[in-house]
Amino acid sequence: MTVWQRARGRSAPWFLLPALALLAVFVVWPLLRAGWWSFTNADLLSPERSQGVGLANYADLAGDGRFRRAFGNTWLFALLVVPLQTVGAFFLALWVNRPEPAWRWLRAVFFVPVVVAMPVLAVLWTLLYQPAQGGEMGPVNAALAVFGVPPQAWLRDPTLALPAIAFMSIWQGVGLQMMVFLAGLQGVSKELLDAARIDGAGAWQRVWNVVIPAMRNTIIFVVTVTTILAFRIFVQPYLMTRGGPGNSTLSLIQSVYEMTFISQDLGRACAAAMAFLLLVGGLTWLQRRLLKEERE
Amino acid sequence: MSVLCGYPGFRVLTGVLSVVLLLSCGAGCRRAPTDDGGKKVIRVWSHQGQEAENRAMRGIAKAFNQAHAERGLRVDLSFFPDFQYAEKLAIAAAARDLPDAFELDGPAVARLVDAGLLAQLDAYFDRAERDDFLPTIIAQGTVDGKLYALGAFDSAVVLYYDRDLLAKAGVKPSTDDEGWTWDEFVQACERLQAAGIEPLAMHMDDSADEWFTYAFSPVVWSGGGHLIASDAPRVRGVLASKENLRSLRAWQDVFTRKFAATDPVDPNPFGNGKVAMDWTGHWMARAHLEKKGDRLGAMRLPRMGEKPVAPCGSWCWGVSTQAGDPELAALWVRWVTDAKTGVEPLVRANGAVPARRSAFAAFPEYSENPYRLFREQLETTARPRPRTPFYATLTGRFAAALRDIARGADVEARLKQAEDEVQSVIDRRVGGGKIKREEKEAAEQEGRP
Repeated sequence: MTVWQRARGRSAPWFLLPALALLAVFVVWPLLRAGWWSFTNADLLSPERSQGVGLANYADLAGDGRFRRAFGNTWLFALLVVPLQTVGAFFLALWVNRPEPAWRWLRAVFFVPVVVAMPVLAVLWTLLYQPAQGGEMGPVNAALAVFGVPPQAWLRDPTLALPAIAFMSIWQGVGLQMMVFLAGLQGVSKELLDAARIDGAGAWQRVWNVVIPAMRNTIIFVVTVTTILAFRIFVQPYLMTRGGPGNSTLSLIQSVYEMTFISQDLGRACAAAMAFLLLVGGLTWLQRRLLKEERE
Repeated sequence: MSVLCGYPGFRVLTGVLSVVLLLSCGAGCRRAPTDDGGKKVIRVWSHQGQEAENRAMRGIAKAFNQAHAERGLRVDLSFFPDFQYAEKLAIAAAARDLPDAFELDGPAVARLVDAGLLAQLDAYFDRAERDDFLPTIIAQGTVDGKLYALGAFDSAVVLYYDRDLLAKAGVKPSTDDEGWTWDEFVQACERLQAAGIEPLAMHMDDSADEWFTYAFSPVVWSGGGHLIASDAPRVRGVLASKENLRSLRAWQDVFTRKFAATDPVDPNPFGNGKVAMDWTGHWMARAHLEKKGDRLGAMRLPRMGEKPVAPCGSWCWGVSTQAGDPELAALWVRWVTDAKTGVEPLVRANGAVPARRSAFAAFPEYSENPYRLFREQLETTARPRPRTPFYATLTGRFAAALRDIARGADVEARLKQAEDEVQSVIDRRVGGGKIKREEKEAAEQEGRP
């Protein structure tokens, strides 16, 4: 070990200190505090008067129909969005991966919804999904009518509302994943593709046997990030349906928000937040275990 | 990827955790009246309304400071947008960082009183002064017979109508002061519809939950029903009562028979001449009068049962129990609810109904409809929304039920669902939480088991 290396070893903690201190204050401490409150009956307006209730908050959540509905909705949303958005983004990336300037424009077009603020898009899509009323029809229904599909009350129908929001979310988010895939595509070796072509591999075979294996790490990254984003679903249903009709689009985040600020039941809200943290953290961990990244 | 990104739930929880962080102030944060170069400063929070209203509020604060300059007293006024105002208050309360005096929405009074955050105002307003306020303002600020909040203005909802359009369909507006019965109202809608005129706007596109509870509770009340029991925090058997099922089924018919739109695109179809009647509040009076002039009429909301009931309630002012000097804070509340220094400038700016009887003299429009009716119903038939610590949950679940019912949900099943959801929140708190604890403490003090 050189002198330099030894010195570096000694000084490293000092360089880490500012970051660690910030983490401790803004992440670790609130997390511990939230964990602590999750075992109490703390009231948001007077948390200092709380009493320990053991695991009651967690048991209570497990038996709460509304929370379970939110849990199920969020899972369903993720199951719809993650595969469709990942596959969609992958093929979009393959499609627009061309050097001519016209394709650059198309890439920009797909990326626009990522840049626009979600509340704006939520209002826009609420109008697009407008049900038929008094002879007037929203654009989505009008477009489907061309193909003979009868008009639907997209956001008002308990069975259609969540898929409708999932579709809108995929449309909104697919551009971002497409960009990540595009970046990944630049790393696929041209020589390999040419070699495959010379060996007589068709387009599908080249994608399946060359592109996908070469983009393994990119795909893992996209799936992981999309999963996390999907579980965080909140803004779209909150603005488009308020979690209704019934509780059919109620998300986990909305239910935590309501526990915190509407019923102001801080202990229970913290328990729900901890459960959510464990769920998403656990899923991410599982994904990274199952889909090991390749490292050089 | 960094270690942190491997556990991205950290980021997901930012919202909740920041609340937690803010709460970490703990005890010992109680403020003394801030000293600012020998001046005493009263910290005051107000909701951010429209710019004219904010300007009026700033003017009121400025006048207060001028009037109290000799005493070395000053208010420090902050505005917060109304869509996050309740959250702002809750976080401040939890962090023991409430301002000395603050504005709050009428139905929130009971919850803050329950949490011990509002100081009593009885001592600061004598009998004569209290009698000068509209009865609805006193009722809204009173919990268990004690006064905790007073406002500078109140609100009203009426059924506006276009005389010409009604005449075209051969519909006669109600001539007595009671308004229509529900049957008369439905007949009027039928006739308008038959004449090819869209009958009614109900503003179902309103993004705020509160509109639904506020505007349509009178349907429940006039039908003899309630939202919550008056003697105990209980909605089971109350929200989905026989009376409410009957009233809200009749209300649902308004939408199923297409008298009013469930998903309106135009926010002001009445003003734009597309519908004949408008179920809306005092805030539309100026615009409707400008558009329609003499053609504009207004009557009470139709009644489900014998007696009409009107909604009421608005922003009001309270003094924090954390205030360094409650007396100084109350001085500001007196100023902002005073007929001359508070009510007049605010009402001129926002067009709401003056909260004090002595203030009406300054508003000559109150001799005629629709304004005359606003005051009339606040003096006689208006009823404040339930004064319960569980109001926020109640209104959220009830409003969601109303939205679904308007769009065709089964009335009984949907009200039962709301009942269950609200009751479970109540049971949790009354069962294991604060209220039971206090009952236990009271019992111990009295030597009961």
